[in-house]
Amino acid sequence: MTVADQAVDAPDAPDAGRRRSASHTRLWGWLLAPPAIWMFVFFVCSIAIVVLLSFGHVNEHFKPVFGASLDNYRTLFNTTYATVFVRSLVYAMLTVVFCLLVGYPVAYTIALHGGRHKNLLVAALVIPFFASYLIRMYAWSTLLSDEGLVNQTLLKLGVAEPVKFLNTPGAVIAGLTYGFVIFMILPIYAALERMDLSLIEAGKDLYHGPLRTFFAVTLPSTRAGVLGGLLLVFLPALGDFVSAQLLGGPGTYMIGNLIQQQFFEGQNAPLGSALTVVLMLCLVVFMVFYLRATDRERRET
Amino acid sequence: MTRRLDASTTRRSVLRGALGVGATAALAGCGFSSGDTASTSASGSASASQSPAAKAKVDGDLVYFNWADYLDPTIHDGFQKEYGVKIIETNYDSYAGLLAKVNSGNQYDFITPGSKEVAQLRAAGMLQRIDKTQLKNADEVFGVSPYFDNPWYDANSDYSVPFTMYLTGIAYRKDKVSSMTGSWNDLWNEQAKGRIFVLDEADEAIGMDALKLGLDMNTINPDDLAKIQADLVAQKPLLRGYSTDDVNNMAGGNAWIHHMWSGDFLTLVNNTVKDPQNYEFIAPKEGTPFGNDTYAIPANAQHPGTALLFIDYLLRPENIVKQINYIGYPMPTKSGQDTFAAISKGYPGTQISVADLSKPNVFKTQTPEGKAARDAMWTTVKAS
Amino acid sequence: MAATTASTTTSSAPAPSSRRRRRGRSVEGKPRVAVAFTVLFFVLLYLPIIVVVIFSFNSRKSLSYFESFSTRWYVQFFNDEGLISSLKASLLISTITMLGSLLLGVMLAIALERVSSRKARVVGTVSLVPLVTPEIVTGVAALLFFTGLGIKLSLTTVILAEITFSISYVAVIVRGRLASMSGEYEEAARDLGCTPFQAVRLVVVPAILPALIAAGLLIFALTFDDFVLAFFTTGVDPQPLPVRIYSEIRLSISPAINAVGTCMMAVSAVLLVLALIVPRLFGSKDSSIDMLS
Repeated sequence: MTVADQAVDAPDAPDAGRRRSASHTRLWGWLLAPPAIWMFVFFVCSIAIVVLLSFGHVNEHFKPVFGASLDNYRTLFNTTYATVFVRSLVYAMLTVVFCLLVGYPVAYTIALHGGRHKNLLVAALVIPFFASYLIRMYAWSTLLSDEGLVNQTLLKLGVAEPVKFLNTPGAVIAGLTYGFVIFMILPIYAALERMDLSLIEAGKDLYHGPLRTFFAVTLPSTRAGVLGGLLLVFLPALGDFVSAQLLGGPGTYMIGNLIQQQFFEGQNAPLGSALTVVLMLCLVVFMVFYLRATDRERRET
Repeated sequence: MTRRLDASTTRRSVLRGALGVGATAALAGCGFSSGDTASTSASGSASASQSPAAKAKVDGDLVYFNWADYLDPTIHDGFQKEYGVKIIETNYDSYAGLLAKVNSGNQYDFITPGSKEVAQLRAAGMLQRIDKTQLKNADEVFGVSPYFDNPWYDANSDYSVPFTMYLTGIAYRKDKVSSMTGSWNDLWNEQAKGRIFVLDEADEAIGMDALKLGLDMNTINPDDLAKIQADLVAQKPLLRGYSTDDVNNMAGGNAWIHHMWSGDFLTLVNNTVKDPQNYEFIAPKEGTPFGNDTYAIPANAQHPGTALLFIDYLLRPENIVKQINYIGYPMPTKSGQDTFAAISKGYPGTQISVADLSKPNVFKTQTPEGKAARDAMWTTVKAS
Repeated sequence: MAATTASTTTSSAPAPSSRRRRRGRSVEGKPRVAVAFTVLFFVLLYLPIIVVVIFSFNSRKSLSYFESFSTRWYVQFFNDEGLISSLKASLLISTITMLGSLLLGVMLAIALERVSSRKARVVGTVSLVPLVTPEIVTGVAALLFFTGLGIKLSLTTVILAEITFSISYVAVIVRGRLASMSGEYEEAARDLGCTPFQAVRLVVVPAILPALIAAGLLIFALTFDDFVLAFFTTGVDPQPLPVRIYSEIRLSISPAINAVGTCMMAVSAVLLVLALIVPRLFGSKDSSIDMLS
């Protein structure tokens, strides 16, 4: 852009060219202003309020007020809260693992063996995920209930008692996987599409086995996609509360449920803010890991 | 030279950015400053509660906030038709949820807080005065029993109208469980492991265990709370869940034993299931919590006139009878006494009279510290 | 001995023709396990959807036992004023969010491609953060922001929160498109005398139009179905449809939900199919899928 400017302005004095590109940048700056201000006000400041309120407390009328105490954070060092955090981390990590185990083969099959129907398959993949998450979870909770269709089938097949699927950690993780697997499939699919397929062929010649080739060639080449999927699944899964609420039991409380409870039942917005801040810190830590990992990847390729 | 400039510019711009964020955030959060909160619409100063009470006339649609399935459909349609307004309904699933929504500035016209919630909302100036002269059917509920003419939670019943009376007990499946003892220990019954529900309300769960351990239901004593916490956590492996959806849980078969409200049980056996003989309700011998719900109008209601008309409509004798049949709770009203006697026949555990409300087993308000301690303990139990 | 060595050499170095055949089988032929797995995946993916659709026509109030065909739940849905007003509210929210986030997102994307100052880079990074932030965090932040300012929660607050979240999606999609565009046309336009804004309007915008349409439809579908953010920022009346559905699921068994769900899924499906087809209709070589990845 600047080069073109200078080329046009060459006959003028060099200052004019610089002036034009300066005002040029200012013009684009004006374009940047509205969205920047919007993000600043509605996103950055609102997050700042959460952080500030986390140091507050609740007044005698049970209203949240600002303050300057670490009480909320001290409460969080209670072992039960730590258990909930650890549990959420474990659930989120298991979700990521299952999403990977399920998502990679699906992405691989569509990318490499989809043929003419590739785009149709991806569309068929994407459409359900934009159809009400709540209703799909609710449908699963009824399907898996003691009188639901799944247990009905099992009973017909000779199983003695209805299997308790719901209100278990397994149900919550399955729900999370079901809800977020698309965010693993799409980046991997994109990475596979961008990959040079002759690499696989070369790998097959080198390693002689499809499985070996996969681990030695395909997986490393799609590492950026896998990392992206990891991030896009882990972070939302960590903060989810719907799955635990609809499919979980008394022992599957996650951070999201805790936060929701503080705002909608416990009337303790400052404590809820502190919980949210800790969640945000977890996210920052993982984001940093992710950025370091992708930086390394970029430097290697 | 350029590099040094860059470093200081970065520092300056970061500082500027941080200041900007802090200032805007503080400004935006001015609703959270202690002292008066003129900017928040919901919280009021004393002036809000002393403003003239509304007159009973149609001033818009009714924004109705109540438990789900708590209004007989014919009453719902009848009111809409007679006054030409719509009833816009949202539901809450716990008293805590009710408080949270009202406190966060939502504007409802008609709410049904429990006695303890009325006390809390009234103290915070969040309810409006109800002028009894505006209610044609006021004598259905006022002047009937001295208790409600000046209850502990609302002096002179200025801000609330008594609604239902209830007690909390245990419902169970006679055909599935045979080892009930008539005590709160039944919620720890091993035979029904994995099919027991406890109400998802801090007060109810804590109160239930306090009664079981012989402690004060409203205790904020740290030792008591520690004992209760340990007991409730030990119960968790036996539970299927915490839920206030007691009717559906029992009717759907997920629950064999349910910590349940008395009126909900009557709805279950009279209106919901096809085999009521399989269900039973016990009022545990250690004692049960008693309580009453009320009708109230929030201070920030936009259509208080319609709300008054609605309360009056609900107090019509024929509607009182309909409601008792629909939700199963007795009301401290002139009409409907034999209706309730009829539906609770055979279930002595569900019977409650106004006299019970003067007993000590009533949930009372606490100090902020006490409430925080109980809430924290409940959160710990739920999260374990 | 010579014969043995000869035979060994032949067996260890397969003829080139058979090698090609083997390669062809692995890449062009379909590995049965992977395909079966993918089919199973699709079945599980669509199973709840199919169940909801089928049982929305159930004459009985149950998701476990199908009695007979009936449209009573659809009748109940369309006569339920609360649900209908929620449906209208959700459509309104989605439309305004789509328009608002498209406008701001395009501005952001174009400006970020043109300005390379540090401030712009900061804005760029910040605008990506909502993408990886769990909705509960943005929901809490939005709720506190509005209550702190004393703004009554309503459809407006939902829209404001949703736009904030959606700008990031639009910016990412449009930036991806812009990045793959060469600046030649714009330079040519500038050479011919256009002002920078004219160049943008006449050259860049039409070129990214397919991406805009894809992003717009995507935002509409996402916002229409969004629950968590709406849950935190909604007022009393009307409530967005997902919040209503959540109350119905948690508080009572209302079979009309299946009818509602089926309708919502139909809407989302139509939108997504449009999002995938329309860019191609505009003559763009890429489909939205390529743009989205």
